[in-house]
Amino acid sequence: MAKAFKYGHKGIRGHLEPAERELLRSLFDDVISMLEPEERADEDPLAALVGLDTKAREPSDRALRRLLPNVMKNDDAASLEFRRYTERSLREGKIGALKAAALSLDREDLVLAPADARHWATALNDVRLVLAERLDIRDDADADNVHLMQDWSEAEDVESYLALVYNFTTWLQESLVQAMVHSLDARR
Amino acid sequence: MTLSVALGPDTRESTQTGTATSTDVLTAPDIPWNLVIWNDPVNLMSYVSYVFRSYFGYSETKANKLMMEVHKKGRSIVAHGSKEQVEQHAVAMHGYGLWATVEKATGGNGSGSGKGKGKRG
Repeated sequence: MAKAFKYGHKGIRGHLEPAERELLRSLFDDVISMLEPEERADEDPLAALVGLDTKAREPSDRALRRLLPNVMKNDDAASLEFRRYTERSLREGKIGALKAAALSLDREDLVLAPADARHWATALNDVRLVLAERLDIRDDADADNVHLMQDWSEAEDVESYLALVYNFTTWLQESLVQAMVHSLDARR
Repeated sequence: MTLSVALGPDTRESTQTGTATSTDVLTAPDIPWNLVIWNDPVNLMSYVSYVFRSYFGYSETKANKLMMEVHKKGRSIVAHGSKEQVEQHAVAMHGYGLWATVEKATGGNGSGSGKGKGKRG
């Protein structure tokens, strides 16, 4: 069983079983492949280099739209304009955090320096946002329903399996954030 | 937002000690844009509060107050600034996975956009 992350003198320490590491690795990889921009043959390499994406559009996939939301509530044109300047680097930042978190899963000891912890927190958050879309969590009542699912022996379909995975990542992120709050308090 | 499944509600209660010390130097009249954070059922309350503390440098009290406002009212204005400033904040919030938008401030004294208009819901 995984142990909750704890803040100590060496940093933030966690413990995960091999199967849990494998699970997290595949979740991180899934979100990475969602976020990876498609290569386009007609792309201006200079524009790409400075992070400009003149062909960016609001994603049609709900989960991706939640990861890369519009910057204005009621102005699609302005949001699109903004997206063309910022979305590529936002994607790259998220992918970087997910890759860093996946990389630290290779180490025997899960001891996170402050930068690692931040990568883990955002990586777990993005994984949870994607899982929540797949589980159709729209409000707090939906979230409470999913939280009821705690028993792995009851996982009999994709839905209940996803719910268990969601609850595991929620628990893991919560313990990590608590440890990060402790480290924030300790530095004051 | 959601509370943790296992680790208990110790992030929920923030004792409101004294006045929140505002770390934002800018004041309302000359700054016409707001950064808004929206509620969602996924982000952890502890995480949202942590982001407000670590990114904006807000006190724990202020961060918790804003987080609770997001949770209870569905949205909260967490920063003001020029359009460029709040847009930069919005991208940072998207990086953290928070649902952020920017909007023109209404009802401000100086920006001149709010004249004759009612308060926005």
